[in-house]
Amino acid sequence: MRVPVGALAEMLGELPSVDEIVATLDGLGLPVDAVLELPGAPRGVLVADLIDVRPHPDADGLTVVRVRAGEREAEVVCGAPNARVGLRSAWVPPGTTLPALGQTIEAREVRGVRSEGMLASPRELGLFDHQGGLLVLGDDARAGSELADAWGPETVLELEITPNRADATGLLGVARDLAAKLLLSLRDPSRSETLDLGDPDVFDGLHVEVADPERCPRFTLRRIEGVRVGPSPVWLQRRVAAFGLRPRNNVVDVTNLVTFELGQPSHAYDVRALTGGVLQVRRARAEERLRTLGDDELALDPDDLVIATPERAADAAPGRLAAAAGSRAVGLAGVIGGAGDSVRDDTSDVALEVAHFDPVGVRRTARRHKLHTDAHYRFERGVDPALPERASARIAALLAEVAGGTPHTGVTVVGTVRAAPAIDFRPSRVAWLTTLEVSADTQRAMLERLGCHVTIVGDDAWSVAPPSWRVDLGIEEDLIEEVARLHGFEHIAATVPNLAFVPPAGDPTHRALRDALVENGFLETISYAFTGAAELAAARAPAASVVLTEPQGVERAVLRTALYPGLLAAARLNHAERDLALFEVGRVFGAEERERVALLLRGRRLVAPWRAGLEVDFFVAKGVLEQLAERFGAALELRPAAADHLHPHAAAEVLWDGRAVGQLGRVHPEVAAAFELGETFVAELELPLAVHAPALTPLPRQPFAERDLAVIVPQGVTFAELRGALAAVAGPWLISLEPFDVYEGEQVGEGRRSLALRFRFRHAERSLADAEVEACMKEVMQAARAAGYTLRT
Amino acid sequence: MLEEALAEIRSAPDARALQQVRVAWLGRKGRVTERLKTLGGLAPEERRAAGAEINALKQALEQAFDEREHELEAAAVQAQLERERVDVTLPGLRPAAGAHHLLSQVMHKLTDVFRTLGYEVVVGPELEDDHHNFEALNFPPEHPARDTQDTFWTSDGRLLRTHTSPMQVRYMRDHRPPFKVVVPGKVFRNEAVDTTHEAQFHQLEALVVGERITMADMRGAIEAMAVALFGPGTRTRLQPTFFPFVEPGAEFAIWWTHPKTGKEEWLELGGCGMVHPNVFRAVGYEGVTGFAFGFGLERMAMVTYGVADIRDLYRGDVRVLRQFRGVA
Repeated sequence: MRVPVGALAEMLGELPSVDEIVATLDGLGLPVDAVLELPGAPRGVLVADLIDVRPHPDADGLTVVRVRAGEREAEVVCGAPNARVGLRSAWVPPGTTLPALGQTIEAREVRGVRSEGMLASPRELGLFDHQGGLLVLGDDARAGSELADAWGPETVLELEITPNRADATGLLGVARDLAAKLLLSLRDPSRSETLDLGDPDVFDGLHVEVADPERCPRFTLRRIEGVRVGPSPVWLQRRVAAFGLRPRNNVVDVTNLVTFELGQPSHAYDVRALTGGVLQVRRARAEERLRTLGDDELALDPDDLVIATPERAADAAPGRLAAAAGSRAVGLAGVIGGAGDSVRDDTSDVALEVAHFDPVGVRRTARRHKLHTDAHYRFERGVDPALPERASARIAALLAEVAGGTPHTGVTVVGTVRAAPAIDFRPSRVAWLTTLEVSADTQRAMLERLGCHVTIVGDDAWSVAPPSWRVDLGIEEDLIEEVARLHGFEHIAATVPNLAFVPPAGDPTHRALRDALVENGFLETISYAFTGAAELAAARAPAASVVLTEPQGVERAVLRTALYPGLLAAARLNHAERDLALFEVGRVFGAEERERVALLLRGRRLVAPWRAGLEVDFFVAKGVLEQLAERFGAALELRPAAADHLHPHAAAEVLWDGRAVGQLGRVHPEVAAAFELGETFVAELELPLAVHAPALTPLPRQPFAERDLAVIVPQGVTFAELRGALAAVAGPWLISLEPFDVYEGEQVGEGRRSLALRFRFRHAERSLADAEVEACMKEVMQAARAAGYTLRT
Repeated sequence: MLEEALAEIRSAPDARALQQVRVAWLGRKGRVTERLKTLGGLAPEERRAAGAEINALKQALEQAFDEREHELEAAAVQAQLERERVDVTLPGLRPAAGAHHLLSQVMHKLTDVFRTLGYEVVVGPELEDDHHNFEALNFPPEHPARDTQDTFWTSDGRLLRTHTSPMQVRYMRDHRPPFKVVVPGKVFRNEAVDTTHEAQFHQLEALVVGERITMADMRGAIEAMAVALFGPGTRTRLQPTFFPFVEPGAEFAIWWTHPKTGKEEWLELGGCGMVHPNVFRAVGYEGVTGFAFGFGLERMAMVTYGVADIRDLYRGDVRVLRQFRGVA
């Protein structure tokens, strides 16, 4: 919302400095995003009439224009499409500097014709963003005068309006807040005593029928006759431009001005477009269409509220409207007008619609048709429902002033204003909730300055009726905020509550896990929760089960079902890095949302540039998990298990304390190739991983006895299987059984391998005799032979 | 004779040569031994004198041998040490240094601060529904405030949470006041991505509810966080604003020294306010008040550590990730 400081001054009189206004607005919750210094017309630019326009003899599309600026006349070559005799515009005489162009205009030859300066577009003049033609001025601008005298610079505050402050979408609301805070008196242009509200009992030839009073609680239509459509006076163009709009003509500019000034949108129809002078407010019919002012052809929905007029004069009799199917939409209520029914250059009689529409309905319609208009922006927030009649009178008065129109003495008003319910308010609650000490008298004065009506019901019990324009005030806390806002949030102290609350311990952000991996040399990545179906497929991850309806591209269209594809993509991105150790902790979205950790390893783990490092293989990767498990006091076990994305013979299911939590393995060469990767290892585990607090075991007092045995087993018999079988028979004193060598080759023959095992035995209370240990080993060897394995000696 | 022997001993280049010299002089057939054997042919008087002389010679040689032996041992140790010389300037052999993601570091720094202040850290789902993300937080259907949230909807009618505030609802449903919690986590907004905006980012949210929690308590909590992060004397600013789930609502800023520019300025961090009665109603609370505040971690990380492009945080480029080592 752009607030010209000059316009504020018209409502508030003497104002403090701009810095002070900005600080005040910031403190009121109407934060100023930017302070814009709009330039005035450049010095030297003169108001001039175009008195002759002829084609350039030697250039298509150019004209040679004779201008007269008071005493001075000159010929200028011009390319603007709207150059015509009788137009009053701005002439830039030679020697004039146009800051917007960054150049000084000199007399020059254009294709053999001398051009004494130029005729300029509003953009070239730096006035507003339009370069489709010359600036068009009205009768008020005196030919020969300096445009800068009428069109001076303006300071404009760019305000950020929060969705609750519907009232501040008009200048008036901003001025009201400032007046309340700075104790200024407010001149409300909609409450000027000279305004003629019109007499609803006087018939002006216009009829309104509202078929849906829920969606349109109030509708006014005012007839203004004898309007001359033309350029707005400079003050109005300048004001409209300061709001960030492009001046069009006096009628449109006036309605736009009031939209921004009072926050009340309106629409001006050419009375000729209203069949029989009748307007109807109804729901759209199925398959009804509307061509808008913005020249979009809309397919309307039965939920859309439209303004319509009868197709045929015969249907225009009052009372027959609701039944008449024969009406056509001329506008989308509260959003946008239709093409062709609005004011035209030759319009003389205007029918001015100023209405109130239900915010939710307007919002639905605007969203459905993806329309963003100044009208919808205000209606969906909630325009002051009591405003239409006064806003209509304000517009009528302005049209009389700038377009020579005569407002009809009658007015058509449909519907009633329902006052918002009063709010029960306890002034003591201000201090209770905010700790701000504001006396009851001061609170009352503040609320009244904001337009509330305060009735004291009892001790610490008020009934506060909010003003019609503050649709955001509904509960006691809203009023507390109003008091606090006017008093100033800066006065709120800083205290610490004394709460009887002891937070439970826990590690919901998996910090111990992250710390362990980081200490182990892993870099943490964070990738996107959304990904592409193609990437999931390339990684052979489960297909997405959650799909976004309006994604930012196909690569971000679904939610990830696994973390490792993101790591593979990161590995691809980092193709120049030989050695990678990455991890991510994040959420995946299958049938349900789960938290996981994923790891990726490739290249070497121990690295020096001048020495061979430790190449990552399956066991290096497994070692990472083992270390993690050891650190967490958990038991880790890996079982051969296929997974789509892993190498069929280098893939394992990970059991953490016996519970299957994920997979570890070498990325399937085909998947790796799809990500342009070589040998890569990934693991992905469900979180949280169980953690066990360590407990001290007493140190053993007895020595252990150690025996080695090499067993030749067929390929396919795993170490875990062999250990299981042998440990089962090794007796009660076995304390560990580890492999210390694994051999495959000629000496053991094709399809077999030798596992050299180291057994350790210990008795808790005494030394074991050799014979006792030998007896255990005998059982072991027997079991191995019985299983068909060869013992290697 | 002594001089000759000493010369041989002192010139023996190593232990083996020294042994040979020892044998040559003191061995069974050594020259000193041979000489001892000649004593038998001498008169008793002469024998005593000659014996004493040979013994002195022998002792002198023994001592010389010992000295030389020590010398050679010392030299051998020196030589061994010399052979074991390393070029300490060559790079070490090592696992790479890992790093927490910058955003994790910022998150943990903050959760540390809040744990110290007695808050519980909780997390919640990223895939949410309209009820938790909007309706229970007092965003009515078709309210313009929803526009500020740029929601990613899913084909089954759910949504990616647009803020961490749904956890307010979840936590309050499962717990009774009083409590102090913070919720760190990922949030999503369907807005145009550029150097300072991402469709995915992180927030941290605080919620405190009790019999009488005030706006001053809220300011105190924000100030405590600011001081913990930016040092004593850090100031805070509250300015009124609107969020549907709080009333009154405010934006908070912290007066800090920008680490890059060295300029003191307000850093606008996030939103805060007193929990809206409709939110309490939605979770069945009565007779309590509370505050909530929340802010984005990316912004804090970016201004603190000079990250110019927010997208660098999510690309997974290890040249960037490595720079986050030890930031916290």
